[in-house]
Amino acid sequence: MSEIKRRDLLKIGAGAALAAGAGAAAIPLVRRLADSAPPAIDIKKLVAGKLDYTRAKAVPTICFGCTTHCGVIGWVQDGRVRKIEGNPLDPNTQGNICSKAQGMISYTYYPERLMHPIKRVGKRGEGKWKRISWDEALSEIADRMRPLREGGVPEEFVFHYGRDKTKGYTKRFTNAFGTPHRLNRRSICSSNRRAPLMSFYGREFEWETQDFENTKYIVNFGGNPMEAYQGGLYMMHRIQKARVDGGAKMVTFEIRPSATASVSEDYFPIMPGTDGAVAFAMIHVILREGLQDEEFWNRWSNLPLEKLRESVKDYTPGWAEEQSGVPAADIERIAVEFAQAAPACCTMSNRGSAKHYNGVQADRAIRTLDVLVGNVGKPGGFCLSSLRGWAGRYGQEGLPKLSQPGPKPPNPKPWGIGEGYDEEAFKKLPDFVQERVNNFPEKWKKKYFGELATPSEYPLAWHWYQMRVGQLVYPYIKEGRQKVSVYMSFTLGASYGYPEANVAREVLQDESLIPFHVAIDIGYGEQAALADIVLPEATSLERWDHHSTNNYGLVPYTGVRQPLVEPAGETKSVQAILQDLAKRIGGGMEEYFAFESEEAFYKEWYKNLPVSWEDFKRRGIWYDEGREKDYELYERPLTDAELEGTAVEGDLVMKGGKAVGIMMDGKAVRGFPTPNRVINVYDEIWPEAAKAVGLPADDVNASPIAVYDTVPEHRDLGEDDYIFSTFKWNVHTQGRSGHWKYHAEIVHTNPVFMHPETGETLGVQEGDSVRVSVYRPKGHTYRGGEDGIMGSFENHVRFLSGMHPKVVACSHHVGHWEHGAVGASKNEATGPAEGTGPGAGNADPQAAPEKIWWSKGRGGIGGGVAINDALPINPCPLTGGQNWYDNVCKIEKL
Amino acid sequence: MPEPQRSPVPWENVGPQFKKPFKQAAILVDLQRCTGCHSCSVSCKTEHEVPLGDFRMRVRYLERPAPQQAQLSFVPMLCMHCQDAPCMKACPTSAIGRLDDGRVVVEEDKCCGNKACVAACPYGAIFINDDTGKAEKCDLCTHRTEVGLDPACVSSCPTEALRFHDLADESDEVTAMARRQNAAAWKGDEGTAPSVLYIDHEKWMEDKVNLGVQISERDGDPIYEQDNFDRKKR
Repeated sequence: MSEIKRRDLLKIGAGAALAAGAGAAAIPLVRRLADSAPPAIDIKKLVAGKLDYTRAKAVPTICFGCTTHCGVIGWVQDGRVRKIEGNPLDPNTQGNICSKAQGMISYTYYPERLMHPIKRVGKRGEGKWKRISWDEALSEIADRMRPLREGGVPEEFVFHYGRDKTKGYTKRFTNAFGTPHRLNRRSICSSNRRAPLMSFYGREFEWETQDFENTKYIVNFGGNPMEAYQGGLYMMHRIQKARVDGGAKMVTFEIRPSATASVSEDYFPIMPGTDGAVAFAMIHVILREGLQDEEFWNRWSNLPLEKLRESVKDYTPGWAEEQSGVPAADIERIAVEFAQAAPACCTMSNRGSAKHYNGVQADRAIRTLDVLVGNVGKPGGFCLSSLRGWAGRYGQEGLPKLSQPGPKPPNPKPWGIGEGYDEEAFKKLPDFVQERVNNFPEKWKKKYFGELATPSEYPLAWHWYQMRVGQLVYPYIKEGRQKVSVYMSFTLGASYGYPEANVAREVLQDESLIPFHVAIDIGYGEQAALADIVLPEATSLERWDHHSTNNYGLVPYTGVRQPLVEPAGETKSVQAILQDLAKRIGGGMEEYFAFESEEAFYKEWYKNLPVSWEDFKRRGIWYDEGREKDYELYERPLTDAELEGTAVEGDLVMKGGKAVGIMMDGKAVRGFPTPNRVINVYDEIWPEAAKAVGLPADDVNASPIAVYDTVPEHRDLGEDDYIFSTFKWNVHTQGRSGHWKYHAEIVHTNPVFMHPETGETLGVQEGDSVRVSVYRPKGHTYRGGEDGIMGSFENHVRFLSGMHPKVVACSHHVGHWEHGAVGASKNEATGPAEGTGPGAGNADPQAAPEKIWWSKGRGGIGGGVAINDALPINPCPLTGGQNWYDNVCKIEKL
Repeated sequence: MPEPQRSPVPWENVGPQFKKPFKQAAILVDLQRCTGCHSCSVSCKTEHEVPLGDFRMRVRYLERPAPQQAQLSFVPMLCMHCQDAPCMKACPTSAIGRLDDGRVVVEEDKCCGNKACVAACPYGAIFINDDTGKAEKCDLCTHRTEVGLDPACVSSCPTEALRFHDLADESDEVTAMARRQNAAAWKGDEGTAPSVLYIDHEKWMEDKVNLGVQISERDGDPIYEQDNFDRKKR
């Protein structure tokens, strides 16, 4: 954190070869010597066996290497996908990709990939399987499911996914079946950052779209777009261009030297859970210095500036330094630099700031900074752009409508008492749950669908939409809050990757709790290992999907994932599997799945695009090149068509009981898609939710205005206590990349990273083994306040001077015991041999067990440790977001 | 040569008519832009189906010296396509040659696998492929550049930290950028006149061991040391 800037240092001692300075142009760059007259080389021979790009077929599609979903081109030669490149027509990526794109080739051709359905023959989890036909598999599943639907208990079918980008197709299935149980893992990922955004800006903007291309100053609270952030690739190339070509500056608060921290002009190792303190102090400084954009604030925020000033008066830079360790002088400087760069400045935050007990409030403080300096929606600022689907929602005006072909099944009824409610399902809930829900306000009663989909302790997990609380699914099933008869997991790795993954495994192992488990996945992972039937899915290179997301170029675009090759072996796309299953279950369910082919279904979906289906498939991407960028959407006047049938009430423009605009200077403008059409810096939803679930009013999460409080378990940290943190590498994606050979080769183990001084305090050297033991949380959360150690793991130590000295960190991603030889880092076969078969002839011999040089069997370091059994389930009050980064641990040298 | 007709769909512009007429093919590595994402090296391995444990290209993670020790630098490493190439001189069977555009290539059918080139290379850029028994290294993706595509690493870099250019053409804007920004050779004092140059090169980087990522030698070196790039040294 020295004042010497990296750029200045670089000037010193550079230019050794080119003879820096004036007149350098006179020195020739090329000085090829006598060897330059070689005998002619036969280029044909040189390129023999390589991919022949003149012969190979190029197919544009959408990457599924992670959740970012970049437009890519796959090159297919002799029926095999050989290479992935970027699609230059994608306005979001501008043709860029990252290493994970090539991972799609690894997961399509890895030797242990499942090629046909298998059924267990031993005890569940024992690893004994037999090959069965699709007919046998789907008949058995349909026979298990049909009675639930016909018997009026469709909710006993639970569909739980890890990664579903079918944009509504699986919901079509669960709705047609009649169950509200389409569960996900949003709480594991991002609900704590989405909730504050939706509170501020409305349901349509659960994700922001900063105008990085034009920004001059970025303050990044724990986001890591250079490695892992959803949308990271879209951001990475723009940030690097803005920095290097545009002179933009990036400040990063992190706990370890991530790639993002490392390319930042300023990097501050920060005490975990204190990002909010720095943001509050920045607000304090900006107000003290009078650098706020008062006009914007008064026009668009719902809080009088004096109230904000009052709320941050004690949040001085000196106080923030005590909390965070970030020097007060730097906080002062950054606050001023940030405000002076406005409106071409923006904040950025992600799990680093948000996945804490106080993370929702930290993010609300960070979001307040942007409103305060008036950069919202401005060039180079904190912009908002259409996120998903093209259904004529806010920000999608004038776009052709795209929607999943009909007929669409209705949503299930909410659970409760009264007309239009599912009373039977409701009455089976525990009494205390029924009582709580009965006391909910009407708006929540209409959104309540039982404890798995909409856990009543966490109303803000489903107030805006169903983000759910995935990590509580297994404990709740264990507690008996929901009876499950058929459990279907889809691309889910809960038994490896959820906090207290051992609980997930224990429940999945228990046939009284989960009588029947079907896993749909492309490979045999830890989840499939606990199934009764495993259905092998086609990979992203073999199937269709709709794609639309926010474009950091600020113009909405859409793309299509299309198959490059036929599904390998007997694998089938999830669409085909669910279609077939719906037909077998019958009872009217099949009517929703009556389309001819998958391609016909997707062609219909895109029928309103102003380009032909063939041309769309040829380019893979479409957007309106003439469309104005999404700057200041809120200032746009309502059009005559939009004004039709509206009435002005107060300053709101109302239509059908809903505000659709706001009067500003006598003009009807769009405003923000919130109930009051302005930015809700102040929001009563937080205390309202707290009251409904009995969270004390003085809890940090209960405040209508952003406030700071220390993370409960960090209040009395002992000298021997450390914060345990996890992180993601750029070559991996959650728990789904362990078996990608070229990625696992780069990162296959997860040492305990710590600062050298921490090592000295603990008396450990690099390479020494340590045991990390994690305590249970202390706040108002699941099993909060229970004493004792939650779990432990052991691995060797690595030093990094960029670590925060009070933090130790291990990466996620590794320590698999399934997912083939590469995934398990073993030089021997793993997984059921019965699973591979026809199509496995396509398998990549380079990923064979004997090639795994890092396996312990070959004298290597092995595949790391699975850490998630030791990490407590710790949902944040109200939102349910998993507080991954609050854990306190002790460390013992072994 | 007349400009070939181009399709508005970029990937349809593939063929010998699109080949770039370079006199000295080169890559400019811009360390200001590299984020260490490994896209280049994984793209390279996929393109050439490089066996596990070997690398034509890779990305080093280096801890910076004080006072910047809290941050890492990321350095893509590949064959430098030296204009005075020690590997060429060392090869007893003349299996290492140079194409018209100056790039250094291995002619596998002439290679006897005696590793003289591996030992001679100051950059550790050459390895023996166990499956073929032949020396292998970066050839700037000849099969791609012959049909007008940039080398795989360049094409896959998301931040323009790698650029393919003609070092002999002073009007090439990338070459001009190399000049302007005082791009430097890696281990310039080896005197091999590399065609690959680095913007923001710093001398300390050459002596630092790798850090953070786990590409180790085939024997699974526990301190995550280098692969073939450092074999000579070790």
